[in-house]
Amino acid sequence: MWIVRTSQLLVVAIVAGLWEAASQRGWVDPNLLPPLSKIGSVLFALLHDDRLLSDLALTITEVSAAFTIVGPLGLLVGFFLGEQPPVYRALGPVLHVLLATPKSIFLPVFILAFGIGFLEKVIFAVTLSFFIVLLSGIAAAQSVPAGLVTVARSFGATRLKLYLFIYLPAMQPLIVEGLRMALIFSITGVLLAEMYGSAHGVGRLIFAWGEMFRMPELFAGVLLIVMITVAVNELLRVAENVGRSRRRGF
Amino acid sequence: MIVRIRRLLVRLTLFLAFVGCWEAAYRAGLLNPIIFAAPSVIVKAAVKDGWTFLAAFRVTVLEITMAILMAWCFGIIFGVIAGSLPILARISAPMLSAVIALPLVVIYPVLLVWFGLGVTSKIVFGTISGVFPIALNTLTGVQSIDHGFATMARAMGANRRQIMFRVMAPLALPAIIAGLRLGTALIVIGVVLSEMLASTDGIGFWISYHRSLFNTGQVYLGIILALSITILVNMILSFVERMHFRGGDERFVR
Amino acid sequence: MNHRPTARAGSVEIIKVERLSKQYGSGANSLRALSDISLSVSEGQFVTVVGPSGCGKSTLLLILAGLVSPSSGDVWIDGAAVTGPLPEKISVMFQEAWLLPWKTAVENVEFPLMLRGAPFAIRRPRALSLLQLVGLEGFANRYPGELSGGMKQRVAIARSLVQEPRVLLMDEPFAALDEQTRTRMGNELLQVWEKFGRTVVFVTHGLTEAIYLADFVFVMSARPGRILERFHVELPRPRTIEMIGNEAFGRLRNRIWHLIGGA
Repeated sequence: MWIVRTSQLLVVAIVAGLWEAASQRGWVDPNLLPPLSKIGSVLFALLHDDRLLSDLALTITEVSAAFTIVGPLGLLVGFFLGEQPPVYRALGPVLHVLLATPKSIFLPVFILAFGIGFLEKVIFAVTLSFFIVLLSGIAAAQSVPAGLVTVARSFGATRLKLYLFIYLPAMQPLIVEGLRMALIFSITGVLLAEMYGSAHGVGRLIFAWGEMFRMPELFAGVLLIVMITVAVNELLRVAENVGRSRRRGF
Repeated sequence: MIVRIRRLLVRLTLFLAFVGCWEAAYRAGLLNPIIFAAPSVIVKAAVKDGWTFLAAFRVTVLEITMAILMAWCFGIIFGVIAGSLPILARISAPMLSAVIALPLVVIYPVLLVWFGLGVTSKIVFGTISGVFPIALNTLTGVQSIDHGFATMARAMGANRRQIMFRVMAPLALPAIIAGLRLGTALIVIGVVLSEMLASTDGIGFWISYHRSLFNTGQVYLGIILALSITILVNMILSFVERMHFRGGDERFVR
Repeated sequence: MNHRPTARAGSVEIIKVERLSKQYGSGANSLRALSDISLSVSEGQFVTVVGPSGCGKSTLLLILAGLVSPSSGDVWIDGAAVTGPLPEKISVMFQEAWLLPWKTAVENVEFPLMLRGAPFAIRRPRALSLLQLVGLEGFANRYPGELSGGMKQRVAIARSLVQEPRVLLMDEPFAALDEQTRTRMGNELLQVWEKFGRTVVFVTHGLTEAIYLADFVFVMSARPGRILERFHVELPRPRTIEMIGNEAFGRLRNRIWHLIGGA
């Protein structure tokens, strides 16, 4: 296992090294690809910059709002659908059409409907994530081993205890996966909406830096987003895998 | 055959009923005309700006085709190689899924600086949007083929080339096609979105242009054209899949 | 009572294994799977190999098939040293049928011939006649996904006969089937075998199955696998289900059971 981790770090290190070298030695135009070291120092300076911090705070608020709405909503609706096979079967085809439809192309319609602003961005992010979270919810409900439920009921478990001690632990990995999906799609949705039309937010800032050819700032912004997303995603994935490995016997 | 025709008819009727209801609700004033365009409004938009959109459609389709070619090639080649080498698979699979989780839109401004407002930045962004899911799906598909098939083929006297092309490649095909489906949808979205964000031509450009003028009919016309590309590509992939798997059993990859 | 022609029960040695050992890995992590195995099988015999799970009987079969190379020792089949697959002499069957899902039953049966470039006019009739032999003439154009587990294994039997091999190696081919199907498949396999008279090496962990099918039963020890003993099954052929209940059968079964249990 350590060999895998080391190799992954090595790949990242090689890419970073090549990037730095290419830019420093002038293999590529440093105006188009600034050296990583410079991007790092710009990023560090930006983290003390009030404009960026306020934009970052807004983006985080929007993502949090979308996440707290879509995470529970998608999982609960999904759980309900997974628990009610007749309803699921009836709605299945419609659901799959909606799932397959690219939601982000409808972004202009959201702007027509809600104007440009906080509400529009959050609702767009929620719509973008909803169906994927829903799928996790359905899968979670279907992942509870039927035999386990039967055994617990034969021991006289009440409905509440059944949900608390059987369903919840059994569904844990898929619930975490659903939340992970909710988070990464909320991030994507908010950033996209900000880049497409917004006065504030990190997405807007990154897009503006691009338009002004301010490459060090642009790359610093991209790097920031990448680091935050990777950290959040890996954290949730670890939680998911811990749950999975404990269930290996299932 | 009759079943299929009947199913098609049912779907067509449902679709027409949906369109009819939409139009009726619009006429009755139940739908906000800024947010929802009635079918008749979209048709009017098509009559008025049809040629502009058709010209833009050609640009978008060209960009998408180029992006598809690149993403399919790179994705499948990488996925097949990494999937057949266990150590490479274990190293690259988590990295690929980490990249897939990233909001890749944020690099579009970089591509704009590098490649300009023209078609190149769209092609590159489309390729980047689609290549990682294709690579990951191909990788897991190839990796999950049971070695029993290869052992059996070897026992029957198949050489390496025959094992690769007669046994393993067809076994991996469903997973590869699933990846292509997902990746291609992302390519189409990526290209249209990048046109919407910053461009001088293409469906996405005209969607954004008409959105700023509140021409809801034209916005929907553009969206429908963009969706039709996704549907078309999906139909082609389904056709390939069906040609190959007339047996109907796709659950053999475990 | 013996229904088979005596000439076939001849003593021409077709499989010869000498001082075979197999070791996985090296150093402290090494695993000794097989230790010093020698055996010989005469042409036309039906031989079964039983042993506790993990005793290396599948490894032994894979080595016989040329799919795994031994650490030391030699294997000859039909006079040829086995160093790799010999599809013209040996065919193998596993617990799974490994039928290619996009090919019909008959296409699967003729697949080994196709690999060798045999023309359609030769391979198709042969595949069809073999499907008829295993009782699947009505299912030639079905896909594996449309066949039951027992039918899939029958297709696999037909496929393993299509190259007219001298030796059939079978690794628990019926283990995934239900009891009833397993017994029926065993009987059908015996019928096919009596008709063709190929040599069969059949690995199983079912004692009843092992005795019921075999001329000789090889009993293996727990890891590292060694051959503990070879039993001659002196029941007349064709075998019938009733024989399982008779005293001689039960005695042999008990002896093997204690041998494995005590090992």
